Amino acid sequence: MRTSHGSFVWRLFLLLALLAPGLAAAAPQPFVPPSSPESAREQAQRQQAQPYNNAPMWRDVRSEREHQTQVRGIETGVLVQSGGETWRELRNGPVSLIGGLLLVAIAAIILLFHVMHGSIKVTSPPAGKMIQRFNDWERWVHWSVAITFCILAISGLIILFGKNVLLPIIGHTLFSWLAILSKNLHNFVGPLFIFSALVMFVTYVKDNLWKSYDFRWFKNMGGMLGGEHIPSGKFNAGEKVWFWLGLFVLTIIVAVTGLILDFPNFEQGRAIMQQANVVHAIAAILYMALSLGHIYMGTIGVEGAYDSMRTNGQVDEAWAKEHHGYWYEDVKADRTGQKAAAGVAGAGQVPQAGR
Amino acid sequence: MARMKFISDAERCIECNGCVTACKNEHEIPWGVNRRRVVTIDDGIPGERSISVACMHCSDAPCIAVCPVDTIYKTTEGIVLHDKDLCIGCGYCFYACPFGAPQFPQDGAFGLRGKMDKCTFCAGGPEADGSEAEFKKYGRNRISEGKLPACAEMCSTKALLGGDGDVIADIYRNRVVFRGKGSEVWGWGTAYGKPEKQQPQQQPAAQGAKS
Repeated sequence: MRTSHGSFVWRLFLLLALLAPGLAAAAPQPFVPPSSPESAREQAQRQQAQPYNNAPMWRDVRSEREHQTQVRGIETGVLVQSGGETWRELRNGPVSLIGGLLLVAIAAIILLFHVMHGSIKVTSPPAGKMIQRFNDWERWVHWSVAITFCILAISGLIILFGKNVLLPIIGHTLFSWLAILSKNLHNFVGPLFIFSALVMFVTYVKDNLWKSYDFRWFKNMGGMLGGEHIPSGKFNAGEKVWFWLGLFVLTIIVAVTGLILDFPNFEQGRAIMQQANVVHAIAAILYMALSLGHIYMGTIGVEGAYDSMRTNGQVDEAWAKEHHGYWYEDVKADRTGQKAAAGVAGAGQVPQAGR
Repeated sequence: MARMKFISDAERCIECNGCVTACKNEHEIPWGVNRRRVVTIDDGIPGERSISVACMHCSDAPCIAVCPVDTIYKTTEGIVLHDKDLCIGCGYCFYACPFGAPQFPQDGAFGLRGKMDKCTFCAGGPEADGSEAEFKKYGRNRISEGKLPACAEMCSTKALLGGDGDVIADIYRNRVVFRGKGSEVWGWGTAYGKPEKQQPQQQPAAQGAKS
């Protein structure tokens, strides 16, 4: 008994002696759960070493990390979000200024071109025979995209530039009414435009595939810069660029960014919305600038072009021969419509009369 | 004229959320909107700090700069207010604000935003001071009654100070001198770091028709 008791005391003493340095060192160390971020550990240690020095905490305030709060909502735990300032500088600065100047410049160039050159006339006399260029479905799809595009473009311009352009003229009350209308039209017509553009892509893609002869069109922009007409398929190279750059690339960009902005109920944060808004504005301005060219060429720029999208979608044979030589050949050889696939083979043929 | 500002003293805030409750009660704020919130950094860890945040009524307010209908304006006291009748609910002020102050009650399906709501520094809106219409849209106008914001008046530890920027800065300076350390004034660099850009203006044009 005696020996065992003595050995117990001895062991206890040994244990304490071994633990003592460890306990002494551990005592001032605050408990920080292992899952906490590094900044929390730093802050806890700094409080021990230098009370009232909260440098790690202040750094964390600016970290844009979600902290603890009782208020529910998106990013309510974030104290300072710095991206808004960048977004403001971009939107109110280069996006508005360069974008606005670009649209005005493109419109001015088109006007100048029209005044100097006038519309591109059909040189040969009208044949009197009409051929179907766009059927009912194609025209419906085109105008669905065109009308929704115009609504979006005008309402978007009002939201971006209205404060500087319209507000000083029409005043706060009327402009606010116009802006509320624009915002709601923009939000509701947007998805409709995306759907229409998708259908248009499927409908028009087969005639917009790039052909080797399309490169030649750029030599004199299909006769726009003088010289002879370069024959082309149903769509010339300019129209194909509009199709792929506009309807394909730019639509995808404005659609994706637009949906992010249109549906804020998926708990997306401010950062992604700021980025989406800038990309949306830039892409939309480029889209509008391109559309001015397309609208000009499709209406007063090229005589007879508008007929193809009018009520019956028919064009004069002389027009078809002059502007879309290969397509005219295909129609004459009955290689369009259901037999469209076969029409590709005849594309290499030299048209009978280019001009 | 005094330039109104907020100070939230991180050394004093105990995260009681009294300011949040005071604000909601004073202005009868609709469900889902919180003009003020308390955020705790390093919650539950020694050295945790809490900060009460709402609209800071910035010198060069980004919300004013981006609002597409120019509905947000600044009073002669530097208080940033807005006209809900002109607001279109686009959410741009929410994108621009570093403090997350502008709030939008959901108005319809798919996250459609209603009229923006935010802290008014208890100064109401463009309607006639103390009118029923003003209370319904913006809450009580304490400033017109010579009172300071309810949140700061209610703060149990006087962590939250609201009022003339020079006066509250003096109070805070005394605290810092007494503590010997901790001179950081939360959010002041972000909110008041830039010179006043927007000239203090009278209420927008629509005001004339209503008052």
